[in-house]
Amino acid sequence: MLSGKFRSALVIGGQGIRARKLRTFLSMVSLFLGVLAVVAVQAGAEIAERAMLTDVELQSGKDGTVTGYVPGEKGAPGIVEAMMKGRTDAVAMIGSKAIIGEPGVRPINEGGMPFEYAGRGGDYSGPQVYCDSNGTCTEQKQPEKKPDGQAIEVSMVALTGDIRPFKPFRPVSGSWLEFDTAPSLAPRIVLNEEAAKGLRQYRVPGEMMIEGATHHVSPQITGVVQDGYFQPRIYMRLDELRTWMPAAAETTEVDRMRGGGTNLELYLQPGSDELQQLLKAKLAGVGIPQDQMHFQVVKSKERMESELRIMRLIFLGMALLVLLIGVAGILNVGLATVGERVEEFALRRAVGMSRMLLAGIVLAETLLTGLLTAALAIGAGAAGLQVALMMFGSRFPSLQGTAFPWEAGVAGVIAGLIAGVLGGLIPAIRAARIPIATVMRA
Amino acid sequence: MTQTFDQPTVQVQAPLLQLNGITKVLKGQGEPRTILSGVDFTVHAGQSVAILGRSGSGKSTLLSLIGLFDRADEGQYLLHGDDITKLPERRAAALRSAEFGFVFQRFFLLKHLTAAQNVAMALVNGQGWSARRKRRQQVMDALEQVGIAHLAKSKPTRLSGGEQQRVAIARALVRQPRIILADEPTGALDTETGNLVVEVLLNTTRQGCGLVLVTHDHDHARKMGRVLELRDGRFN
Repeated sequence: MLSGKFRSALVIGGQGIRARKLRTFLSMVSLFLGVLAVVAVQAGAEIAERAMLTDVELQSGKDGTVTGYVPGEKGAPGIVEAMMKGRTDAVAMIGSKAIIGEPGVRPINEGGMPFEYAGRGGDYSGPQVYCDSNGTCTEQKQPEKKPDGQAIEVSMVALTGDIRPFKPFRPVSGSWLEFDTAPSLAPRIVLNEEAAKGLRQYRVPGEMMIEGATHHVSPQITGVVQDGYFQPRIYMRLDELRTWMPAAAETTEVDRMRGGGTNLELYLQPGSDELQQLLKAKLAGVGIPQDQMHFQVVKSKERMESELRIMRLIFLGMALLVLLIGVAGILNVGLATVGERVEEFALRRAVGMSRMLLAGIVLAETLLTGLLTAALAIGAGAAGLQVALMMFGSRFPSLQGTAFPWEAGVAGVIAGLIAGVLGGLIPAIRAARIPIATVMRA
Repeated sequence: MTQTFDQPTVQVQAPLLQLNGITKVLKGQGEPRTILSGVDFTVHAGQSVAILGRSGSGKSTLLSLIGLFDRADEGQYLLHGDDITKLPERRAAALRSAEFGFVFQRFFLLKHLTAAQNVAMALVNGQGWSARRKRRQQVMDALEQVGIAHLAKSKPTRLSGGEQQRVAIARALVRQPRIILADEPTGALDTETGNLVVEVLLNTTRQGCGLVLVTHDHDHARKMGRVLELRDGRFN
């Protein structure tokens, strides 16, 4: 239950606001701009942070995720596959290469480069020499040069499970891979935007040759996603890949030195230490050195916060300046109002109201005004965001589906309260000091 | 202790309020000026007292000391026998609400409120809280007491001077005070309306309320049970 004093303050404060609508409106106008500035800065910073975070998370993984990189040697792919199979708290991405299009031809973007740079690499026909860690060097046999043809080269990523809980891929069209259905003989693939662009641009035949696979396959494209990579990539289920490539290809030393071979990338939910330890132990058991197994926690937010902090502080400083002008406005109107209401305040004290409560009423009025203004500013901010998204959302895919951040709402309410207190404090003190006897006698 | 007063029909057990040797000095920018000098004053329940005096004689200052608007520099103030001379502001406000009803020469009605809301002002003062229905009943009773219940929804600007003063009296009565302090309540009214207002105030004493009336009007003063005259800060 509210106390009598609090109720009295609210009732009288409400009466005061109703009785002086124009004054209330005038003090709200200046305050509105100040609160709106705070809301806009806070919302802008939150949205920018989320957009940047989403971009970072697309590549690095969601904040808190444990990522692991394991060399694809000495049976490691088999161990990883076996351990990750059927799990939802951890997913392995096994990377390889594939060529989509005419068989036996040189792809348009040889090496899986972005299509913007396709054909600009030139040919290097000199000898290729690789040296091992002991300094023993061997010359590698040049691969046979293939004729140019209608094919594109993509990075192929086979997944043991749904990666989206760890990497928030944004759907562009179609649908994502389903992992709870039976594997299909025609592997279902999802393209990233660059791969989709290649297929759209070059109209290659629907045949795919996976590096290390025995046969060409005819994939079914189920969808396109935005994955944050500039190189063409395709995603598929590992069990569907195994139909055509029964054994996990192991990386040879030469592959590793060329930057090729099988890449094992792991994504684990936070707190999966036990799984991580077990995996490390098994990999160590087959001879993978500990220093080649890299596990780390993704700290996307930390990275973003340090980048955004300075920018946010600058804008917040500017917003506070505008808010200060709003406070000056409400203070000005408040002081004028107290001067006008001297008799009312003296009378209220005469009929038994304490100085404190009288000050509380003046503060209640400015606080109510501040809160009302904050509500309007928050509403205007949220509406403005919706309008901006409608107008510019298509240009900034990372902003699609963005909701008005609650932090901006909280900042607006706090700004309204602070402005109410700052703008009402001096008028409240003045009101409390009005001498009853002098006023009532005048 | 039993006291007998100059109004022979009234006999009461203990004074409602008692001032002993009250002195008030006005300290302004110039020389300090003694407004009240060793004033003794007593009011009993059901008693009406008129205070006469020229302008600047200290009548209103005395009333503001009685009504706890201000503090005396010297002397003692007893209310129901309790010494409240050095009462903290918060308790003084509570006593103003519970014990006193004030009527002023200027009515001090808030123009944006109706007559009923103006009367209710005395109930919405942070000294306790009663439900809206009860408050409304109290307000209507007070307006009924001064004979203007039918004007409850009227704004002050639509009321005559006499009606406005009666609203102000209803505001003073709504908390059923023990003492009414009226500072020249008929000063802004014509004779007939002034008489009506004095009648309304006198009615309150018949219910046991004390009345202190500051006035320049000897006719109104004579209607009171006791008449005192202040001159140079002292009662004659």
